[in-house]
Amino acid sequence: MNELRDDLAATGSAVVAEGAGLRVTPPSVAALGRAVAVLRGHLLPVRVRGNGDAPVEAPPGGALIELTALDRIASVDAATGIARVEAGCSVAALETAARRAGATLGPLLPSVRAGSLGAWLAGPTRGERGIPGARRETAALSVAAVLADGRLAESRAAPRSATGPDLDHLALGGSGRLCVVAAAWIRLFPAAPPAYAAWKAPDLAAAIGMVQGLCADRIAPARGMLRLQDGAALVALSWEGPGAARLQRGRAVRALGEPLAVDAGPEVRAPPSSRGVEVDARWEALGAFARRRGAAEIALYGLHAGGAFAVLSLAEETVEECAAAARGPGARLVAPRRLRESGPSWPEMGAAAAWDRLVTALGTEEDRSEERAPPATGGAPPGAQHGSEKLR
Amino acid sequence: MTAPLRAAGPRGRALERDLTALLGPFAASCAPADLWAMSRDCWPRSLLWTKTGIAPHPPDVVVWPASTEEVAAVVRFAGERQVPVVPFGAGSGVCGGAVPLKGGIALDLKRLSGPPCVDLPARTVDVEAGMNGQRLEELLGAAGATLGHFPSSIYCSTVGGWLAARSAGQLSSRYGKIEDIVLAVEAVDGTGAILRTQDAPSAGPDLTQILVGSEGTLAIVTKARLRCWPAPTGRWMRGVRFASVQAGMAGIRSVMRSGLRPAVARLYDPLDTLLAARGGSGGHAVPEPLRWVVEGAQAEALRLALRAPLVLNRLVDALPASSLLILGFEGEGASGSADAREEGEAALALVAAEGGEDLGPSPGEKWLANRYKISYRQSPLFSAGAFVDTMEVATTWDRLDALYGAVRHAVASHAFVMAHFSHAYLEGCSIYFTFVGLAGAPAGASDHEDLEEAEERYDACWNAALSAACDSGATLSHHHGVGVHKQVFLPREHGEGMRQLRALKQAFDPRGILNPGKLLL
Repeated sequence: MNELRDDLAATGSAVVAEGAGLRVTPPSVAALGRAVAVLRGHLLPVRVRGNGDAPVEAPPGGALIELTALDRIASVDAATGIARVEAGCSVAALETAARRAGATLGPLLPSVRAGSLGAWLAGPTRGERGIPGARRETAALSVAAVLADGRLAESRAAPRSATGPDLDHLALGGSGRLCVVAAAWIRLFPAAPPAYAAWKAPDLAAAIGMVQGLCADRIAPARGMLRLQDGAALVALSWEGPGAARLQRGRAVRALGEPLAVDAGPEVRAPPSSRGVEVDARWEALGAFARRRGAAEIALYGLHAGGAFAVLSLAEETVEECAAAARGPGARLVAPRRLRESGPSWPEMGAAAAWDRLVTALGTEEDRSEERAPPATGGAPPGAQHGSEKLR
Repeated sequence: MTAPLRAAGPRGRALERDLTALLGPFAASCAPADLWAMSRDCWPRSLLWTKTGIAPHPPDVVVWPASTEEVAAVVRFAGERQVPVVPFGAGSGVCGGAVPLKGGIALDLKRLSGPPCVDLPARTVDVEAGMNGQRLEELLGAAGATLGHFPSSIYCSTVGGWLAARSAGQLSSRYGKIEDIVLAVEAVDGTGAILRTQDAPSAGPDLTQILVGSEGTLAIVTKARLRCWPAPTGRWMRGVRFASVQAGMAGIRSVMRSGLRPAVARLYDPLDTLLAARGGSGGHAVPEPLRWVVEGAQAEALRLALRAPLVLNRLVDALPASSLLILGFEGEGASGSADAREEGEAALALVAAEGGEDLGPSPGEKWLANRYKISYRQSPLFSAGAFVDTMEVATTWDRLDALYGAVRHAVASHAFVMAHFSHAYLEGCSIYFTFVGLAGAPAGASDHEDLEEAEERYDACWNAALSAACDSGATLSHHHGVGVHKQVFLPREHGEGMRQLRALKQAFDPRGILNPGKLLL
């Protein structure tokens, strides 16, 4: 362990012992690369944490890489709609800087907004958010990722390309298993006042049906809050985009009828219940949850024709019960992190062997020759790029 | 084709026998005409080969599987014998991605073209990879739907080809590129395993996005679930004139950043603007030498003019600087026309603020009526002794003008160059350059020496163009892919990411049999 510690210190990173592992804090992207190379060279489990992410201990016999010093926002170009940001930067700090320049990241799940950029991109939402046209895309225009040997792979910052497989997708959603997100070019929307409107629906299931219909008609709201209220469901929605919000709202009014005579803004912006769970779900799964007895509130983000990110809340039950109710119809848990499935879905797709070969080829396999104690925070996998536990 | 077709060799005949035993009668062939048909795609360099009467890279055998399971059986068969497998859709690729550089099995997927399963309420369609693009759109149209994917090659391309090379359609600003449209794929990897990605939230890296764009080097896509939409019921088209290309770029950016989603946003440079205005009233005439180049008229004069591309390009610089933007919006349902008009008028206000002058609907409607014709105007130029090629690169708004200038400057002494801007996004845009260069003798008079000279000029032009694009920070390809053609520049695009690319190859095709020699794999 002492030799390892010396090797890590030689990377320029601060190294301290923590429990049965080490805490490594690189001061720069270059130092991060060197530290990852040392750790992967020893086949050690690695976890990564940035600003805003939940506290986590170093894995036994491995290392926690703290990206707290990699929090620089190198540039924000609101005219083009891009920002260059290091992975340890908190999403909240990036949003503040973007707002100052007249831009925004747009509506995001509460756990995403509370965590770091690296955790957002490497986490289960893959950095995705809703874009005009009832579609979803990742906010990462380009990712700079540290490979197992410490080298930095960075894609071209172009809106789309056709130069082979999208290599950014080895980092996006990868939880740090295949590479570690070090920095990224992030896409920004122009900041402008949203357009709001609210309607009443007979129940939550009907409310989901209304929003799904809007998305199918390409009038996807940027954000929505569906809540049981006085024996009915409130459907409060917002649209964004300086030139499009008002038009989209008008089309929604033509589709759904005259909205309620209330200021829907506060309803949409109200924080979702802290007892909820965050999911990525298709409309069918959201509809099934809405029909469940006790379903009380559904906050929607990243809406698209096929589904949405959502915070689902039950009136009485615990978070665990809520998670079970969401999983039943097929929603995938995003937060709380301890309830999230840890492995990739590739085996379900027939790609288990390809995954194993990929891990080997990228040099990110870990020494599993001895049983390691489970990490103190629960089911977090080794190699995980951490996220926030907070729901708001 | 003037030279005799090459007969199959012993390896081809043995493969034909064994594959026929595997898949049944008529599922494999090594007839010379079949081998020639699968020896090339629409890569302009391969058109130069054809003009000279050669086919340097024929496959050993052609096979036509009828199901995903048959594709998997062929891949396993090939793996056992270490024979390359090159998937082939309709052969409309322009980068040599389907050229069997190392021979082997050309896997023609056109029999995978069963009727698509359209679920319009769910906004999805399940379709096999060999389905022709135009046929799919017709079948969707019969169900009241559209994919919204209209590449110029729609008549001669397949769903599998679109997915292999990350294709873009002319209305991509509204509907997205094919990687935005695809929800899930079924594919066969290099071990013969069948992969089925999920049209549902999944954990870990997005396998669909890793397979899409891999040009058949990681897996062969056999089916896909794609997003479809109700067919539009209303359309609003306009032409808008700007004083310069730069003002036009600002106009498109303003529209895209506003959150509006035009179906069409195409900005033409001055020569393309003149060409687009031909036949209209009040437009400037296209100067004579330029007309020879764009029309392939006057073969002798064309070749003479192309010996001095710099002069031609300077002539273009002297043209009136105005730039034409074609802007179009679509709407669906009962209010489709009103919705399209409402968004269009909002966009007009934005482009007016950038100096755009409304020319009315006629330029847009003219573009719509002629939008597929341009791709079929290249044959006269090849016949006359020119080569024509196109390069589609993309970057962010802040670098777009520099990219435009850098590529034009770099290519100016090698070929005549035109450009238009299309496929716009919130953060940037693609530029579509067209090069016309001197290839040599006209068709029928071309020999091997002539071909060598033509290929040298062709390579010099492309090296200059791609170097300039790389230096400008642009991506090398927006929607044509890489294939053989651009692969030497791939390390400049991906840098250390090449290690990731090679790792993917080891993971999905450990024997290295899938489309070898492409993407530097």
